[in-house]
Amino acid sequence: MTVFKYFFKVLNSYKFFIILTTVLLVGFGCFSLKTNDTTTNFVANEPTSIIINEDGDNDITKNLCEYIKKNSTIKEINTDEDSINDAIFYRQVSYAIYIPNNYGEDFLKGSNPEIKIKATGDSNSAYMKMLLERYIKIVNIYQQEGLSESEIIQNANRDLEKNIEVEMTSKINANSLSQSTFFYNFANYSLLAGCVFIVAMVLSSFRNRYIRKRTIVSSTKYTSFNKSLFLANAIFALALWAIYVIISILLVKDVMLSLYGILYMINSFVFTICCLSIAFLIGNVISNKDGINGIVNVLALGSSFLCGAFVPVEFLPSSVLTIAHILPSYWYIQNNQFISTLETINFHTLKPYLVNLTVIVLFIIGFIVLTNIITKHKRKEN
Amino acid sequence: MFFHNFKYTLKSLFKNKSLIFWAYAFPIILCTFFNLAFSNIENSEKLNIIDIGIVENKYFQEDTVIKETFTKLSDKNNKDQLFNITYTSLEEVASLLNNDKITGYLILTEDSNKVVIKNNGINETILKYVTEEIFQTKELITNLATNTIKEEIQNGNYPIDYEKIYQGVFDIIQNQEVKINDISNKNLSYTMIEYYTLIAMSCLYGALLAFTAINRTLANMSHTGKRVSASPVKKWKLILSSLLASYVVQLIGITLLLLYTIFVIHVDYGTQILPIISLILLGSAAGLSLGVVISTAFKISENSKTGIVIGFTMLGVFLSGMMGITMKYIIDVNIPIVNILNPANMITDGFYALYYYTNTDRYFFNIISLAIFSFIMIIISSFLLRRQKYDSI
Amino acid sequence: MEKIIEVMNLTKKYKDLKAIDHLSFDVYKGEILGLLGPNGSGKSTTINCILSLLKFNEGNITIFGKEMTPDSYETKSKIGVVFQEVAVLEELTVYENIDYFCGLYIKDKTARKNYVNEAIHLVGLEDFKKFKPKQLSGGLLRRLNIACGVAHKPSLIFLDEPTVAVDPQSRNNILDGIKTLRDQGATIVYTTHYMEEVEILCDRIIIIDKGNIIAQGTKQELKDLTGIEEKVTVEIDNLEPNKIEDIKKLDNVKEVNYNNNTLLITYKNGKSNFGNLLHYLNKENLVYNKIYSERPTLNDVFLELTGKELRD
Repeated sequence: MTVFKYFFKVLNSYKFFIILTTVLLVGFGCFSLKTNDTTTNFVANEPTSIIINEDGDNDITKNLCEYIKKNSTIKEINTDEDSINDAIFYRQVSYAIYIPNNYGEDFLKGSNPEIKIKATGDSNSAYMKMLLERYIKIVNIYQQEGLSESEIIQNANRDLEKNIEVEMTSKINANSLSQSTFFYNFANYSLLAGCVFIVAMVLSSFRNRYIRKRTIVSSTKYTSFNKSLFLANAIFALALWAIYVIISILLVKDVMLSLYGILYMINSFVFTICCLSIAFLIGNVISNKDGINGIVNVLALGSSFLCGAFVPVEFLPSSVLTIAHILPSYWYIQNNQFISTLETINFHTLKPYLVNLTVIVLFIIGFIVLTNIITKHKRKEN
Repeated sequence: MFFHNFKYTLKSLFKNKSLIFWAYAFPIILCTFFNLAFSNIENSEKLNIIDIGIVENKYFQEDTVIKETFTKLSDKNNKDQLFNITYTSLEEVASLLNNDKITGYLILTEDSNKVVIKNNGINETILKYVTEEIFQTKELITNLATNTIKEEIQNGNYPIDYEKIYQGVFDIIQNQEVKINDISNKNLSYTMIEYYTLIAMSCLYGALLAFTAINRTLANMSHTGKRVSASPVKKWKLILSSLLASYVVQLIGITLLLLYTIFVIHVDYGTQILPIISLILLGSAAGLSLGVVISTAFKISENSKTGIVIGFTMLGVFLSGMMGITMKYIIDVNIPIVNILNPANMITDGFYALYYYTNTDRYFFNIISLAIFSFIMIIISSFLLRRQKYDSI
Repeated sequence: MEKIIEVMNLTKKYKDLKAIDHLSFDVYKGEILGLLGPNGSGKSTTINCILSLLKFNEGNITIFGKEMTPDSYETKSKIGVVFQEVAVLEELTVYENIDYFCGLYIKDKTARKNYVNEAIHLVGLEDFKKFKPKQLSGGLLRRLNIACGVAHKPSLIFLDEPTVAVDPQSRNNILDGIKTLRDQGATIVYTTHYMEEVEILCDRIIIIDKGNIIAQGTKQELKDLTGIEEKVTVEIDNLEPNKIEDIKKLDNVKEVNYNNNTLLITYKNGKSNFGNLLHYLNKENLVYNKIYSERPTLNDVFLELTGKELRD
């Protein structure tokens, strides 16, 4: 029992660190929950925009504003130039539209007044540009046809309201699933930074202690000591995993309490074991604490960045993903991604999932074998 | 004596593996990760050519307006090419959609026209929108042409040249000039902020160097400090030479990081060299002075001090956008005082101002904030450092 | 004799705790003064006050005839300190460490080189010049610690428990080194809680407990304080009480204890005490396993004065 006691003493001194990684996980988990839309119908994207209306209160200008408001989300911000510039830069607003002074009058006169805009240049702003161009084209045509102000507005609005039927094939709740995937992808960092760091630290400090007392510890005692040390670490890792699973259930109940949830749990469970094997490797190979701290930080951040735990996988360059194949995190995250696109769950559709799991298991075996080889080698040296 | 202490402080800081890792290697490693992860993100967010399918049936073949418009939109020689279209059977497009090869497909039937997609998204929205626009335009042409024909009939202008009328209407629509003038600044790459926060982090990590160097000279902080304090060297000489050494170590680290970001990562800092250098010098000074305060104000273990520095720095760069630039914006807009007091943000924002802003007010505001921050830290620490005898050691 | 240090009425309080209580003593030129006391008795605090690192509540300290302040650079340049804790820079080698600390006193580079090498020779670290502190064993590290403190050949040296947790070989090396320093003319203040070291090394001893001087003088003077000249221990089975009474009546016997078959007799000053005892035992045909005589130690002095053991 003394091993357990000592284990928890060491654990206690790192409690701040565990809490930090868990809080980060929960924080980012909640962050991803902010869009709470669970429909399975088509919903058009709405770019964010702001209107800087330097024109008066005439009908033409009003209608333009109405149109923009209808097709985009108007962001409430200050309209001084710095605020607009900042909002564009930080992608809070895709499109800023400056309606010039006398726009309504100039338009009716047929002088086709220029509209200034500021745009982020991403898809949303390109879409907003399409929306705006179409509107201007249509009102211009009716203006050139010589219609009156109210006729122009009436005709244009009628034309713009015509919709096409849209059918959406996917019936899965992509939103909840992507939230769960986001949570479990981020858990990649928490497990690597939290679990691996703690276990490796504990192991290395135990090892140092043991080496000092080697002469007074008999070999049979050492084996049982090792066993209880392994047990303590395993219990810690699994407890951490269980906590993360419980948090995920609290955050996305509908997914986590379904078959999908079980897939996420199995995947993260196997990955936790993998983290444990990585921690054993690091804790046995590296004895100084600064070294462990550095390596774990680099490993956790590296795996998370390269495999798509922080940045969505679809945004990563393919070359990076190719390199990422050598990291267990890649297979773990690929599985999370896979689950979120799974339409039906049966043995046939789960094949890729099982393949990824197998790869993680192979990593675990590899790490264990490597740890054994290295510790044996080290013992010989001693 | 000044040089002697400077030399050995420099030597020992350089040989401190853990310090050098956090101050030199870690920012560069993190920078590499950022680059790998973010290099594609802004391009992915731009509007790229969208893969779509069209069911090739007789309704589509017969609708020349629709057909031609889609042909034009998918023309590889058109600089405004929007779609890459696969024309095939319904089964085929459905399977393409199911395998995520296309964003969606268009199917024309006798009584309705339909866009079929798999999920919600911006590409799906654009597909739907453009298709709608094409149908709307088609209707507009028909309406306008019908009006013209009616007029012609009323005016008795026979024979009516339908072809010419349609062409005329079509030309009107095609030749509509839309005057939209994009006046946005072209330096819009928000991932730059990530690299600026890295520089900020590196500057503040200088606090680690500073307190390590200063701790060694203070009798109430370390054993070597007792030894040094018992020697006949003036305290200010020891402290200034130690600080100078840690400043040098820090600046070398930041220079390496800066060169790495410029030549390997291609980070854009704008074009003004001197302001960049001033910002780095002041930013490092802020980190340094922070380190001195931490080393003199708290009588705790060196590990705890490291914890404070790393915690403070991480919180600072978090608020200035390292873990998501939105955070910086939210703080800037809603609780600006936090970011005015946050040295990590002053540094980040200084670079941002140089990169994005055309006027220099914002840059100088940050420079002055940094100078005030450093000055206050130095005042506090010099007050604490004046003590030569301690109540307890 | 020339006084090197004069401490008068030194008092240091930590909140309500009096760490040093009106301590006064002098240190004379060329002597090794031992400050002996258990852990926490105020030895290190006294040294830190003398060095002007610690504030104190009352008292006066003069070194080399001048009042000691943090700005007494002239005085400080003649002092060498070896603190209880190893105070070296982890990143520097043995040579660099000594050179660094020596360089705070000796400006001239070539002269310093000789000083450093002599210090290395003094503590016997010639084979470890390029080693980092982490690579040294506890004993070697202590020797480095000493070398760093004395390399500049100070005329006054403070050694605060320099042999804590040191193996016997290093301890002998250290003690020899200290003697060498004294022979070279340095005045040394040596604190320890190992009485053996004080007995071997010190010319004069001050025993401190709870911030008070409880005794001072030469080794012999202190031992005389106890009134004990000799202690005799006899391992003897089943000694009858009347025999014990007989022994008590022998000449010069101060006290007799019989416990666990061990007989402990303490004697006042006197002649042939041991012989008398042997004579008595033989006469009574008492069979004993072991018998030995000891001179009183400083521990006995401490025990006598405070009622507790010196060792912790």
